[in-house]
Amino acid sequence: MDDISADLEAGNALMQACAGGDRQAFHQLYLNEAPRMLAFARRFTGESACADDALQDTFVQVWKNAHRFRHERGSARAWLYGLLRYRLLNQQRRSSRYEVGHLPDESWPDPGLSPEQCSLADNDRKVMIECLKTLRLERRRPILMAYYMGLSYEQIADSLAVPLGTIKSRIRSGLKGLQECLRL
Amino acid sequence: MIPDDPQERQLLIAEHVLGLHDPQRRQEIDAWLAQDEEASRLAGHWQEHWLGAAELLEPAPLPSRLWRRIARQAGVAPSRWQWVWQSPVVWRTVSASLLVVVALLLGPLRQPAPVYTVILQAPGEAAAPGWRVTVSASGDLQLIPLQEVAYPRQHSVQFWTLQDPARGPRSLGLVERGQPVVIPASQVGEVKSGQLFELTLEPPGGSPGDRPTGPVLFIGRAVAL
Repeated sequence: MDDISADLEAGNALMQACAGGDRQAFHQLYLNEAPRMLAFARRFTGESACADDALQDTFVQVWKNAHRFRHERGSARAWLYGLLRYRLLNQQRRSSRYEVGHLPDESWPDPGLSPEQCSLADNDRKVMIECLKTLRLERRRPILMAYYMGLSYEQIADSLAVPLGTIKSRIRSGLKGLQECLRL
Repeated sequence: MIPDDPQERQLLIAEHVLGLHDPQRRQEIDAWLAQDEEASRLAGHWQEHWLGAAELLEPAPLPSRLWRRIARQAGVAPSRWQWVWQSPVVWRTVSASLLVVVALLLGPLRQPAPVYTVILQAPGEAAAPGWRVTVSASGDLQLIPLQEVAYPRQHSVQFWTLQDPARGPRSLGLVERGQPVVIPASQVGEVKSGQLFELTLEPPGGSPGDRPTGPVLFIGRAVAL
């Protein structure tokens, strides 16, 4: 079992312990998963306070709803990110304004990955990175804007100054390409 | 409305996982996923695959206040007595008092060897002591955690001291997260007032050389008691 699989298994076990009311497991789950989730939330919101709030809300919900986690439907980590993105999207859509930070370009993922990043990518999910890299930039960029920044079709079209219909078509073509590449 | 065409359904799920729809449409799709096992499984596969993109991000250091807020809101915060027991401030006061008492008791009996203490703090966070170092009269050193800190799992934490800037820092070994460490006097060497101690984040197994390579997590100077 590689490090990532062991990490995911540990996350699943901790989540199940949380469902049983184990407070130490809850704290350990937080210590294991929250650092990267916080990085994700900060990338998403571009603001520390909003990112902290979303992460806080997510973990409180995890403690209250851990019994709803179903291992057979996916990993605890995927469930955590699903909950976090849901909150971040709600925050984003409630706010009338949004800021677009650094847009993913040809150099994505950033050149010069650290050894840790390389080892993290060395698993099944490396496939996703490889599949994304096969997409043309005009399709990959709006998809990554949706994933990392939570922008809607309209916001992406607005940011890139491209007609809405064109953006929809590019994203859908990109998603079809990903689906084929991932064999979903 | 959920389309009948299987390909359109698959695309709809991919868009949904990305969060491209408005709240009303999202609710509609969530309701469908709750009833359709196959569709729900496909959404789960997309989420697992997208973790690959999330894991490319460098983990962020966690503000210590964040866990306190979560614990309070979730109702898992320690009771008042547990807080006192775990409080670094209380332990600092108690241990400093004990050291003073020991020094006072032993003082008249023999020539006192210097006794030192070091509070290791995160750089720029004077209010958040992370570890305490005590050096006994015999020269043995004890490193005691004062708070739980999240370190990336794939890294090691290494303990260093700098006695002579001309010779550079010297490793005192690796530290397990949250575990106290005792280092014998023979390994610690002579300790002087103002001597620097620090913990750094290093690759698995520690720094490949004889110098720290990663960021400083906690740092402090020895104070004679």
